[in-house]
Amino acid sequence: MKVGIVGAGFMGTTHAAGWAETEAELIGIVAETADEAKPLANQYNARVYPDLASMLPDVDVVDICTPTHQHHEMTLQAAAAGKHVICEKPLGRTTAQAREMIEACRKAGVKLLVAHVVRFFTEYALAKSSVMRGEVGKPGVIRLNRGSFRPKKPAGNWFLDESKSGGILMDLMIHDFDYARWIAGDVESVFAKKITTANPNAPVDYGLAILKHRSGAISHITGSWAYPPPTFRTHLEIAGDSGLIEFDSADTSPILNLVAKTNSESPDVGLPSSPVSESPYTTQIKEFYSVLLGEKESRITAEDGMAAVQISEAAIQSAATGKAVLLEVLS
Amino acid sequence: MKIGIMSFAHHHAEAYIANLRAISGVELCGVADEDPARGQRFAQAYNAPFFHTYEALLASKPDGVIICTENSKHLPLVEMAAASKINVLCEKPIATTLADAKAVVDVCARAGVLLMTAFPMRFSAPLMEVKARLDSGELGQVYCFNGTNQGELPTKHRAWFVDPTLAGGGAIMDHTVHLVDIMRWYLGSEAVEVYAQTNKIFHANEVNVETGGLEMITFQNGVFATIDTSWCRPQYWPTWGGLTFEMVTERGAVIVDGFKQNITIYSHANQRPIWQYWGSDMNQAMISEFVSAIRDGREPSVTGVDGLRAVEVALAAYDSARVGQPVKI
Repeated sequence: MKVGIVGAGFMGTTHAAGWAETEAELIGIVAETADEAKPLANQYNARVYPDLASMLPDVDVVDICTPTHQHHEMTLQAAAAGKHVICEKPLGRTTAQAREMIEACRKAGVKLLVAHVVRFFTEYALAKSSVMRGEVGKPGVIRLNRGSFRPKKPAGNWFLDESKSGGILMDLMIHDFDYARWIAGDVESVFAKKITTANPNAPVDYGLAILKHRSGAISHITGSWAYPPPTFRTHLEIAGDSGLIEFDSADTSPILNLVAKTNSESPDVGLPSSPVSESPYTTQIKEFYSVLLGEKESRITAEDGMAAVQISEAAIQSAATGKAVLLEVLS
Repeated sequence: MKIGIMSFAHHHAEAYIANLRAISGVELCGVADEDPARGQRFAQAYNAPFFHTYEALLASKPDGVIICTENSKHLPLVEMAAASKINVLCEKPIATTLADAKAVVDVCARAGVLLMTAFPMRFSAPLMEVKARLDSGELGQVYCFNGTNQGELPTKHRAWFVDPTLAGGGAIMDHTVHLVDIMRWYLGSEAVEVYAQTNKIFHANEVNVETGGLEMITFQNGVFATIDTSWCRPQYWPTWGGLTFEMVTERGAVIVDGFKQNITIYSHANQRPIWQYWGSDMNQAMISEFVSAIRDGREPSVTGVDGLRAVEVALAAYDSARVGQPVKI
């Protein structure tokens, strides 16, 4: 199986490390410029291609790690060439885009796998399996927090351009929108607010969303780009009718570093850092590889990816209008 | 100074007895209860003078009374106290309807007696510390809050907490008011809109009120805030519940846990970890403020209007939960 990655930023680099742990061959890298692609390509003995079109004939799988607004077009292009697609989250910038991507891949007979990596984090996967085992009964109130600092990527900072990334309510909070839906099922309505709606020039952003699930459960989702670097914290609470699951990244951090800092550099985006033997990003790529080989089912479908986009889109709409947004049932 | 206690319907009355006795120059002059047997039982247990009727207690001319009856029954006792020109500290929420809450405030204003709402979090040392930092300007502009006031099903204290009439509702009525009051205190701004979702998944077969609740409140100054009011803590959690909030400002965030000052006890007797609180007694500080306000003849730092504003938000939350959209307050 020959794999080509589009995008050589943090995600492209992380996925490449995952592919290196499989039997697949990472043969090509595409980035905005050849210079950006070169270091990653060199590291894995892959070729630098000038664009996706020129790489397509040489690969079986395209792994899309580009900014969100480019996912749609690249997926359609890959599907048209009969290539499987792995796509970073969010699947598309809009539900309509996601739907077209799913449709195109179905017609082309290729798989579309969306990289919602939170489902592969051990603690989140464990909490899910605990719920599935019935250990806390029927979920009633779910709380999911994810907090870091404002992404400081250069090059126009697409993260902060809502038309490209969807802003905090999509780019960051879609992780937990997907997870909440994984735990408590489809979402009926969304009400959300974020700082930058009324304060577009605020130096921080923070989003709060209340979801009502069709199951009757309610979820409280928080996304923060307000903490000083290099903070990254997540918190999970699943309260059911016969128990409660709690997780906090700060409380479960196995290493408390009280060593004087030698430099004050921090990464471009906040990242979780509880040391485990296999990175969840690698676990994810390995699972996707098995799925592509037809050995197992993916724990996340493209339709799940679309549903998460739909919740994020509703949150954006709610924050803009000040009203709760009812979600259509996705067919 | 003489202070009386009216009703033991609310279990806080027991704590207030100890708080009153800890203040020099203050005498717990008597207790009364609409359930005389209950009143007599607690009077005996705490060695306090017992009055068979509220009228008799009020006729003994206390300087103030603490009203600890069920939420929906505050107004008649407030009216009695005010008619006797006796100052009032009223348990929260001060009423279960807007009309009653307004009447509680009005009747005391007309009678010229002090009215204080029992919002002990105003006297929490950690919360006062954060308020001081906020006022000093070091945190910059506040943008939003993410608050929780979660608890276990409160029936272990009193059955009426889940009675829709006596309590005025479930988790929303029980746990909206503290955080609303904290936010009003911090911001100096009023809530103008609330959105709420509720459900009854926890204890679904035991109670007829909502046990899960999430609210999003918007203040006049644009600050928005969520409150999780859920009775989602299992009875085997290390304590009854708690109150936390994250306050996000232009400089970052402050995360506050009002009940984190605990030791953890693992004992054979309990077979589970227990958190025992060692932080400062906020009830004591609250009762002291009531006494000081009476002594000084000034308005207490937490007023009846504060209680009214908090009830307004809780009631509007119920309206929102019914219609599924935010409602104006």
